[in-house]
Order: sequence, then structure tokens, then C-alpha cells
Amino acid sequence: MERNEILSRVEEIFREELELDELTLTDETTADDVEEWDSLSHIQLVVALEKAFGIKFTSREILSWENIGDLISCIQSKI
Amino acid sequence: MVVNSLSFLWFFLAVMVVYYLCQNRKELQNIVLLIASYWFYSQVDIRMAILLLVLTLVFWLLGKGIGVAFDKDDNRRASILVNIGVAIGIGALFYFKYLNFFMDSIIAFAGLFDLHLSWTAMKLIVPVGLSFFTFKLMSYVLDIYHGKIAPEKDIVSFTNYIAFFPTILSGPIDRPKPFLKQLTVARIFNPDNLMNGFRRILWGMFLKMCIADRLDIYVSAIWNNYEHHSSISIIFASLLYPLQMYADFCGYSEMAIGVALILGFKVAENFKRPFFTINIANYWSRWHMSLTSWLTDYVFMPLNIKLRDWGTNGTIAAIMLNMAFIGMWHGAEWTFFLFGIYHGLWYIPLMISGQFFKKTKIKVNSHGWPTAPFVAKMAGNYLVVTFGLMLFHSKNISEFWAILCRIPEAWNGSLFFDMPTLVNGAICSIALIYVDIQEEWFPNKKIYLPSFAERWRWELTIALEIVAILLFGIFDSNQFIYFQF
Repeated sequence: MERNEILSRVEEIFREELELDELTLTDETTADDVEEWDSLSHIQLVVALEKAFGIKFTSREILSWENIGDLISCIQSKI
Repeated sequence: MVVNSLSFLWFFLAVMVVYYLCQNRKELQNIVLLIASYWFYSQVDIRMAILLLVLTLVFWLLGKGIGVAFDKDDNRRASILVNIGVAIGIGALFYFKYLNFFMDSIIAFAGLFDLHLSWTAMKLIVPVGLSFFTFKLMSYVLDIYHGKIAPEKDIVSFTNYIAFFPTILSGPIDRPKPFLKQLTVARIFNPDNLMNGFRRILWGMFLKMCIADRLDIYVSAIWNNYEHHSSISIIFASLLYPLQMYADFCGYSEMAIGVALILGFKVAENFKRPFFTINIANYWSRWHMSLTSWLTDYVFMPLNIKLRDWGTNGTIAAIMLNMAFIGMWHGAEWTFFLFGIYHGLWYIPLMISGQFFKKTKIKVNSHGWPTAPFVAKMAGNYLVVTFGLMLFHSKNISEFWAILCRIPEAWNGSLFFDMPTLVNGAICSIALIYVDIQEEWFPNKKIYLPSFAERWRWELTIALEIVAILLFGIFDSNQFIYFQF
């Protein structure tokens, strides 16, 4: 799957989970840029992403993402 | 050496002069800071300073080892080293703070089954600030392991991060990344930092000396002799205790942050008007923030990730463990454990109703004030916090139970009224509440201030604070409550 394709699917999941219809994500977006993206919603997002892509992240991977770019790379390496 | 003492003032002035004399050479400045920090810490007990140094060196080497392991793609070795680090950190805490408590509890438990074990309690001196600096040490190796930072090359910088004297005794607990970054540049003398730091120190002194120590006279008079006091006095003292705790610990934090700022460092914040919150989750996001964010990142998050497939039940389990951890962090007593569990239980209805996962903003009316239902919710939350702090304040479970039992028994007595203490305490507490309301709801509009006062706002504030400290301050001060942790 192309990187852009993953990004748009991730964006869709973020919009749904965080209830933010207008949200736009880029590789550089971090949790600091999105008020609703906190430590709690992060776990909900992880579960939704795992389900959508049919993959499983390790704890170390989840805790090491600094921005959306890291998350996309991690998904890309698993599918 | 207490931060609001004359001896600290002389020490700090001497450090400041030497520190800024070498402001063009950051390496020298870091060495001055390190000597100052170790001199400050060794004033408590030289043995503790040695222990601090040994632990610091061990964690620095572990950090290096994890970096080397990752360079060689040896994830297993990195994982072993980070686990050693966590085990040493928790082991040090356990040995100094919890060993006697743990053994006593085992013996008491065995006694229930007629097993008679014996254990001579060890006389251990708990290193001051242990709970704070072990957390810094552990976050350093964990952050390297999670790829958030690279191992620090400069041992002086790393040692400075752990031993930084403004925060070594009681926090705030800084994270390695933002702090170490500040050590890579020279701190040039900045009059704005001096002024802002001085203002925060003064505000901290006001909170500690005029409110916390003043209220302590009243609260302790009742709490230490509860069997002679009426129900109404016990309830009133219990309601004042959260305010006393807030003024005490926020006062300390303000002073630590102010001292750090004068030296050119921005350290973590600890309080954000915690009583203007409508539930316990909001409250913990604004009370002792550097500890709660540490536990969120290193305890709650990893647990929640591990248990994520259990849905809400997993989050509840992670929160209960996290809150039990927060409670026990304060000390080896069942009261602290129950204090944590009590708060954890308040999270459950929030999680089941879904409120925990949504950010609720406090509604304000057309004048900018919070609406009546939200004021009622805030008052309710204050009561929830008060009950938890009654547990926290009690020496042990039997004392807590005796105080609780005293309340329905002594309705006949009148309110213990210590006029000078309550009047002085009330005047200063109103000033604190005014400042907090101002910052929470009217950050850009100064309320009820005449225009001349608006113009000379900072000068007037400083003058008023100095007058208040001289008039209402307690000078034969108590230690800060959080120094014992």
C-alpha cells in the first residue's frame, strides 16, 4: 500500500475516533497539534488502527511514535 | 537547608554570581552548577550525596549500554539493560521506603494463620528526594529504550539533570529531553528571567508562609487533638486541609521554578488551579502535574497498551494500578494505598459513562463566570478531594477511623475559633482565590482593578506580597509537607 493511501486511511480513522470531521493530518502532525489526541484517545486510536489494517503493534512501537510520519512508517513496515 | 531560609539566600546569591561570571563558557557554567547542586545536597547528609552519585553513574552507564545495544541491533540486550535500570530504581525505592512496611505486613498477615514470624525493623535513613530523583533516573533509561532520546554523552550534563539543586528535594520531576537540551547552551544573564523568577519565588513564599503555615496552626490543633474537638471543628479543619496542602506544595513548586528560572532553566510546572475542576480525572491533570504525567507515561500508558484488548475494563485496571502506585509513592502506609484506591474508584463511573474519554469544558455566563451547575460540581469535587486528603492526613488507618467515628458523636460542641489564625489565613486565602479566578477565567482582562492599579500591577503585587509576608507570614516555619516523600 502506498504511503499516501495509508495516510488517508489513518486520517479517516482519526476523524471518526476523535469526532473531528475537519481534521487534516500530515507526517509532521503530533499529539500537541490536536487537542483531542491525548494519552487516552491514543489507545482508542491504536485499537482502531490495528483493527482496520489487521496488524498488531508492540508496546515499544506505540510508545516510540513522535508524529504521524512515524506511525505511517510503522504501519507500512507491517503490511 | 529550606528554600525560604536566609542560609539558602546566601548560598543562592553566591552561586548566582559565580554562575553568571562564567556565562560565556557553558562547560564551566555546568561545572559550577554541579558543584552547587552536590554541595546543597550534601548539606542534608554526605552519605546520601554519595548514594546519589553512585546511582547517577550506574544509570549513565546503563543508558550508554542501551545505546550501544541498539547500534548493534541487539534489542534483547537493550531490553535486559532497561529492565535492570527499572529494577535498580524500584529496588532503591523499595529498600529505603517500603522494606520495613512490607515485612511488617507479611508478619501481620502470617499472624492471621497462627504463623509467628519475626523481623527486626531496619533503621534506614530515607535519602531526601529519593522518590523524585529515582523517577528521573528511570525515565532516562526508558526514554532511551523507547527511542525518544539518545544516550547523553556528557556526564556533567547528565549528573546536573539528576542533581539540579532547585528541584532535587521535592521536584518538579523534569523529563530528560527538555532539561538536557537546556544544558547544551550557555545561560546568559537575563533581567526578565531574574524578575519573573523573583516574582514566582515571592508568590511561593506568600503561599507557604502566609497560607500553608498559618492554616497549619489551626488544622493541626484540631487534627492532633481530634478527641477533644467537636464534629463541626473536625469538618472545618478537614475542609481547610486541601487548601493548606495546595498552598504548601504549590508554594514550594513556585519557589523551585523561580530559582531555576533565575539560573536560566524552564522546569516542569506542577499545579494549574486544581480546585477549579469538576471531576477527579480533571483534578489529577492539574495537581502535582509533573508526577501524574510521569506516571501516565511510564505506568498507565504501558499498562493500558498491554490491556487494550480488554476495552474499558483494561483502562479501569490500568487506572486502579496507576492510582494505587500514586498512593504508595507518598509513603509506606496503608492510608496512602487506600488514598490511591479511593481516587481510582472515582474514575470508574467516569469511564463507564464515557465522560473520562471526553473533555468537558466548564460553561461560563455572559460575564465570563462559571455557571451555577458547574460551580456546584466544582464544590462537589472539592468534597471528594477533601475526603481523600483526610485519609492522606491520618497517621494510620485506626486514626482515620477514629476521626470518622468522632464526627457523628460530637455534634454538641461548638466551632473551635482561633481568631487571629483564621482571620489572617482568610485574608491571604482570599488573595490566592482571587489570583486563581483571575488566571482561570479572566486571563486577559483584569477584574475589579482600578486603572492606576492596572498600570502599576506588578509593582503593586510585589509590594503587597512583601507586606503580606511581613505582616502575616510565619517565620519559624515548618518543613514543606512534600519533603518527607
